[in-house]
Amino acid sequence: MSTKEQSERIEMLQGTLDLLVLRTLLLGPTHGHAIAKAIEFNSDDVLQVEQGSLYPALHRLIKREWISFEVGTSENNRQAKFYRLTAKGRRQLTLETSKWDKFARAIGQILRPAKQEGD
Amino acid sequence: MSLRKRMLNDMDHDISEHIARETQDNIDRGMSPDEARYAALRKFGNVGLVKENTREVWSMVWLEQLGKDLRFSLRMLRKNPSFTLVAILTLALGIGANAAIFSLVRGVLLRPLVNRDENRLIYIRQSADGLNVDNINFSVPEIEDLRTSVKSVSEFGEFSQTVFTILGLGEPRVVRAGVVDGSYFEVVGLHPVLGRLLDMHDDGPKAEGAIVLTYRFWTNVFKSDPSVIGKTVRLDNGIFGMRPATIVGVLEPSIPYPSDTEIISNVVTSPHHLSATMVTGRVHRMTELFGRLAPGATIEQARAELTGVYATINQDYPADYPKQDRYGIDAKLLREQITSKARTVLLVLLAASGLIFIIACSNVANLILARTVRREGELGIRAALGASTGSLRRTLLAENLLLCGAGAALGVLIARPMVAVLARYASRFSVRALDLKVDSTMLWVGAGLALLAAVLLAFVPRLPSANASQGLTHASGGTRVAGGTNRRLRIFAMIQIAACFVLLAGASMLVKTLLSLQAAQTGLDMHHVLTFNMPVTTYGKTPDEVASFYRETLRRIQGIPGVDAVSIGSEIPWRDAGQFGSGLHFTADGQVHGAPEQDPRGHFRTISPGFFASLGVPIIAGRDFNASDRRGAESVVIISQTVAQRMFPNRDAVDRHIILTDPVLKFIPNFSAAPTRIVGVSADVDDEHIVPGPIMTLYYPFEQVMFGGRLFVHTSTDPYALVKPITTVVRDMSTDQPLERAATLADVRAEVLTPDRLNTFVFGGFALVALTIAVVGVAGVLAFSVSARTREFGIRLALGSQPYQLLKGVIVEGAVMAGLGILAGAGAGYVLARLAGSYFQDMHMPGAIVVGVSAFLLLAAAVIASALPAIRAARVDVIQALRAE
Repeated sequence: MSTKEQSERIEMLQGTLDLLVLRTLLLGPTHGHAIAKAIEFNSDDVLQVEQGSLYPALHRLIKREWISFEVGTSENNRQAKFYRLTAKGRRQLTLETSKWDKFARAIGQILRPAKQEGD
Repeated sequence: MSLRKRMLNDMDHDISEHIARETQDNIDRGMSPDEARYAALRKFGNVGLVKENTREVWSMVWLEQLGKDLRFSLRMLRKNPSFTLVAILTLALGIGANAAIFSLVRGVLLRPLVNRDENRLIYIRQSADGLNVDNINFSVPEIEDLRTSVKSVSEFGEFSQTVFTILGLGEPRVVRAGVVDGSYFEVVGLHPVLGRLLDMHDDGPKAEGAIVLTYRFWTNVFKSDPSVIGKTVRLDNGIFGMRPATIVGVLEPSIPYPSDTEIISNVVTSPHHLSATMVTGRVHRMTELFGRLAPGATIEQARAELTGVYATINQDYPADYPKQDRYGIDAKLLREQITSKARTVLLVLLAASGLIFIIACSNVANLILARTVRREGELGIRAALGASTGSLRRTLLAENLLLCGAGAALGVLIARPMVAVLARYASRFSVRALDLKVDSTMLWVGAGLALLAAVLLAFVPRLPSANASQGLTHASGGTRVAGGTNRRLRIFAMIQIAACFVLLAGASMLVKTLLSLQAAQTGLDMHHVLTFNMPVTTYGKTPDEVASFYRETLRRIQGIPGVDAVSIGSEIPWRDAGQFGSGLHFTADGQVHGAPEQDPRGHFRTISPGFFASLGVPIIAGRDFNASDRRGAESVVIISQTVAQRMFPNRDAVDRHIILTDPVLKFIPNFSAAPTRIVGVSADVDDEHIVPGPIMTLYYPFEQVMFGGRLFVHTSTDPYALVKPITTVVRDMSTDQPLERAATLADVRAEVLTPDRLNTFVFGGFALVALTIAVVGVAGVLAFSVSARTREFGIRLALGSQPYQLLKGVIVEGAVMAGLGILAGAGAGYVLARLAGSYFQDMHMPGAIVVGVSAFLLLAAAVIASALPAIRAARVDVIQALRAE
């Protein structure tokens, strides 16, 4: 469970979850629960996703062939799907990341104009 | 296995695996196993929703969902067979009626004619407002004047109607014929299916006689035999003589206008058309005129030019166009002319079927609304579980699509027989309905109406709010009905009753009219008088031979056992009504005689001795004709009682004189207009009107006029058993003498009343359909209201209310609803009738009795409809009712 206060969590933007999943898989193939955990951990628990909403995203990415999967056995001997980034997914991640950077910069400029930068 | 299947099949496993891992993580952090699992589930979110959203990734979601909804609806509807059946039947009736009427409207009003360039084909007519006639034929000199002066009409075609006896094709046969000039077929733009049509070579008095058969005549009578082309026949035109003619072709199937003739022949076959009186008489008007617009000319230009030229003709011949008669000319596209009479009738029908559709839709809306309210619990639960408003609507839409689709399918099925009945009905008003077939667009109309109804009805019910708390209240088994819904139900039911009342009042009016027509006393011996058409054939015979032929034929028929009396007349009552117009002007001695047009009119009949006896009509004064009233003897006349009373009030009419003054008589060959002595006065025989009234009739001896040809036989045995012996007698006398259309007077009357009966049948059918639907509607609303108030009834019973009081309450509720509906209907109907009255001449307000009967019928139906739910209310089990909530 989260240790952060409610007010510090933010809602996910549409499509951001897909990006985060791709980014997580860049580190290597893993299963669904691990992806959710990684996203939570790497964002210092700020990004609170209902873990369930991960699954439509995974299916969507598979349908678009950005990730693939294979059935494997996890550390405690349980069957699970291991998701892996495809070449197509890698390209998409690069594209989406640069888009996201531009977007974030633009938002940042609007919210924090240059002259106030020094404050 | 497809990727999609593999992913979806494993989904449950993936999710439970995920939750298990999260639970394990939580346990590792020190939570108790129960706490850990609960936290994991919370963190995961709504499992059902996740699954649904995941599935959506893979599917054409909306369609798949609709498919699922359809299957679900099918199950739901099967569980509610009575609801389903009523809704489907109601819609089927509504959609069927509309689809049928629409095919009729399309077939009659909108379909183009087969004629080449039919939008340049015009029909020209004269009118005389002063004489109250709106379609007068043209005379030969009039057509000549128009031909030479009017430039915006490139060609004129002439057509006039006559009747021939056609000899040389087996049984002699009387045919309706059109006599046309050489340019007629070119103008109307029709083609032959066999042989050729008539052209300029067939025009004029020197051409050979030539006949074109109409398609229907060729197929019905000659069984489409191509060898009939080239046959030569004789055409007998009665007193005007006989001509040979060759069959040269068969016309393509087309709309017969102005009359449904069997053959079309050239002018030379009708000696009358070549006679001097016809060619030079400006008021001898016998010809229908068609025209083709000149290239570039519009119908408006043609109309303007015709009017101008016609005004000049009027000035040139002031005597033939009296100012007070207000002669005028007009031109219309032939298509419009053909459909003009049908237009109003069809629009009325369209309005009636529109009403039915409203009733049907509001009824189904009612049923669906009631059902939705009863399902509020279910819908509420679904909303609480996360179903969006859209998906709830989709469920309703699926259900409605099923209902309306089934309704439409059934509707289209019943529309076919409906089209058949309606086509027969509409053929009275427009010949175009004759060849009406079921329109395949009817299917589309039906489907369109169904779709429209389905979508409309899906948005009628208010949905339970997605707000879970409210939804769950409903879900707990409550049947609390929102006041708004109940009011809406009632309003729908009242609209139905109002619309139904309008139809019912209209239908009752028609029934009443029909009953009074059928009940009218004719004063004739209806069941014992057998009539035949036996037209006078004069070819190759002297008048004396014709007279003796008839005399001998009558004598021999008289000898057949079972024949009481036999005679010749000139008109089969009712069936032949109007064929001699509204009578001839005449005067009598002792009368002030002014212009002939101011003289009274009398119906002109020719009869043989014994005519009155064979009809069972008494002679009031003087004598019947007898054998001495023959050719060359003194001309005599018998008058009807009304003539005697009008012309000779308080005096004896016998031995006074009648003088025919009608200008048209100068065109009848060998007719002398000398004063004719009255030898007898008969009781009135109104053979013109179905409801008999006083009638002025002048009877002349058949042998002195030699015109007519209807056989009347009074029998003492079964009339139809005598048809055969009578036919044998006539055949023995002459193989060329046609003898057709045997019928008793009773059957002639029934035949003439057929259109009225059909009229009543069509509108009565509509009203019955409406009544059925409205009754179902009222019953539905009350049943719903009763089931919604089960608890209230339980409490009232528990507090000591008597069951009959509840019964009464529900029935009163139904009656009040019906009463208000009837009031609304009466108001709307009154306004409608007033509106309609300004468009139609023959619009009558229904009488008080009719309105009363209709209101009573509806009220009775409403009470019966409310009885069933009322009984249910009275039988409410107290304990059950109170436990229900």
